[in-house]
Amino acid sequence: MDPSTPENTRREFLKRTAAMSALGIAGPTALNMSAISRVASANATDYKALVCVFLYGANDHYNTFVPYDADNYAIYSGFRSTVATDLSMLGSTVLFPARELPDSKQYAFAPQLPDMHNLWQQQNLGVLLNVGPLAQPTTKLEYTSGNAVLPPKIFSHIDQQSIWQSLSPEGSNIGWGGQMADLFISENTNDIFTSISVFGDAVFLSGEASVQYNLTPDGSIQIAPISGSVYGSAAVGASIRQLITAGHSHLIKRAHTDITRRSIAANEILTSALSTVGEISTPFQSGSLSAQLRMVAQMIAARDVLGLKRQVFFVGLGGFDTHNNLNNDHPPLLTEINSAMSAFYSATEELGVSDQVTTFTASDFGRTLSNNNDGTDHGWGSHHMIMGGAVNGGDYYGIAPELGNNGPDDVGQGRLLPTTSVEQMAARLGRWFGCSESELRDIFPSLPLFDDTNLNFM
Amino acid sequence: MNDEFHDTSEASFLGTTIPANTSGEQALQLALDAIANHPNVGPFLGTQLIKRLVTSNPSPAYVERVANTFNSDETGARGNLSAVLKAVLLDPEAQLSSPVSDDRKGRLREPLMRFIQWGRTFGLNDSADKWIIYSTSSAQSQLGQSPLRAPSVFNFFRPEYVPPNSNLGDLGLTAPELQITNETSVAGYANFMHRKIPTGFSGTIRPDYSAELAFADNPQRLADRLNLLLAANQLSAETVNLIVESISSMPSGNSYQLLSRVHAAILMTMVSPDYLVLR
Repeated sequence: MDPSTPENTRREFLKRTAAMSALGIAGPTALNMSAISRVASANATDYKALVCVFLYGANDHYNTFVPYDADNYAIYSGFRSTVATDLSMLGSTVLFPARELPDSKQYAFAPQLPDMHNLWQQQNLGVLLNVGPLAQPTTKLEYTSGNAVLPPKIFSHIDQQSIWQSLSPEGSNIGWGGQMADLFISENTNDIFTSISVFGDAVFLSGEASVQYNLTPDGSIQIAPISGSVYGSAAVGASIRQLITAGHSHLIKRAHTDITRRSIAANEILTSALSTVGEISTPFQSGSLSAQLRMVAQMIAARDVLGLKRQVFFVGLGGFDTHNNLNNDHPPLLTEINSAMSAFYSATEELGVSDQVTTFTASDFGRTLSNNNDGTDHGWGSHHMIMGGAVNGGDYYGIAPELGNNGPDDVGQGRLLPTTSVEQMAARLGRWFGCSESELRDIFPSLPLFDDTNLNFM
Repeated sequence: MNDEFHDTSEASFLGTTIPANTSGEQALQLALDAIANHPNVGPFLGTQLIKRLVTSNPSPAYVERVANTFNSDETGARGNLSAVLKAVLLDPEAQLSSPVSDDRKGRLREPLMRFIQWGRTFGLNDSADKWIIYSTSSAQSQLGQSPLRAPSVFNFFRPEYVPPNSNLGDLGLTAPELQITNETSVAGYANFMHRKIPTGFSGTIRPDYSAELAFADNPQRLADRLNLLLAANQLSAETVNLIVESISSMPSGNSYQLLSRVHAAILMTMVSPDYLVLR
């Protein structure tokens, strides 16, 4: 029998998850037939990784992708006089796309993004315009008439972070990164490393069968007082190990113990795997995002040692809620994005997997075009970058919005009404990752409502 | 209040209308009164206080009892917070005899609170009176929390956090503190306490274990004392036995060895799930 037939894969999956539960490693608790059948239908033969770079606080997209053609620069600088980027600083980061935008619209990357500009020119980075949460295609008229079906709690940070990551507001406990990981977890040998956050808890990575594993930029952390001599006593170390890993019926104790068991088991496997593959040589700058992405690259370097075919990673950077001091606070964040993401792309080249790793930015929402004093306020749609050798780079996708205050494409103060939904963006990434059309419709139920034109960024 | 920037047009929200040309100060008062008197405040505040002080999953009836106290204390006054706290802490559901199933009572103690409890219990004191502890924010080597250093205005974790991939998640139960609990943080906390229990901080910030030292040659009494002081007597018999056995196996021939017994007993207590979850 072909080992990849659904029957065999299903059996293998059940066997492995049962073994994991016994070890307390991944322990799927919401195992159901739909998860199993989805696992059975996906079959990865090569390696692929998706990397989400989440910009917490809502990135000011207007100062990241600056309107550059004369008409739109005039509108932009008119609306945000004190926080506009000077035109003279944008000359070397103007984006010339493969296909011109309508009405001669042009954008330039912020001057802090020269390496992103290089990646665009090398066609390894594309820009998706005006993407954001939508329940269904929504026109300005529908919005203003109050008849539109809208995603819940637009403009609210925690809810929109959650919707970007999981399509549901605060309280959601399953994310689309985790759902994609569910489809491939049975292809991975050390499947605890299927979904990895280097940033802390992110609902993006929560699946049904896949559990997010938390890693630090320095690797996994060993629990010291469970081995060797603890305050002079080996018996104490052994007892602590027993104490913190023993089973419990109390649900919170049990959840804590499961995490502790995973921490111990994964640390042992990972420490050995990472020392086997050695350090990657691509230099990374200092900074939180650089350190996180360097660790992601290090994990990708260990993919074969760990027996991994598909991985989903999550990294993050905070500080984007620029209600004040935009001119001082935002540029250094962009500088860090530029150095961290470009170094990460180089690292994937070093590892020979630049076509197999796709990195994308996401954020709570966009911001207003007009400024409040020296900052900007909460918006909705935003522009985002998609980076990787498999990306149809050097081009725009989606629809370039008209700039204005209560114009045709914004719901006031330049808050963009999205023309591409998060689900559309995510589904494109998922299709590349190897999800089938029916799997994508399971994960992204509103997908059939949307027109897919001009979204072939991969 | 800068009158120049105050919008004097009529404003309507939450069922209240602030008339046009109201002064900024007065508009602010009216707005705050409208918010404070909104019927959602009692249940909201009640839920938050219960989750922080008693249990992650209060019943609707418990929240209602607390909200009723907020809405009207014994004298009929609204917003009496000391009466609200009393209602939170003395509710039947806050008692060990609570009718709630044993498997879902209580809440995970957050790491910073565990650390503060350790400091208070053992008389942490700085002989230099400078209290140089620095940040404890690193999850990988410290507590993953530091006073006044929450990563955002939403604090360290969300009150409605439902942990995925867990029985809690399957049942839709919240466990807010689990949002900052992961493979990294459990190691960071255990290692941090392992280092700090004997030494304290900066050379001058030291715990005082003299009361515990008096019991160090009697592991059962030592474990019982720590169970009472740190864990509200909620350590299981198995946990206490494990501590007693381990401590009994340690030498006790000199004061250094006795002190090591105290350190080990405190660490074992403070990493045990029976302690971490306060029921």
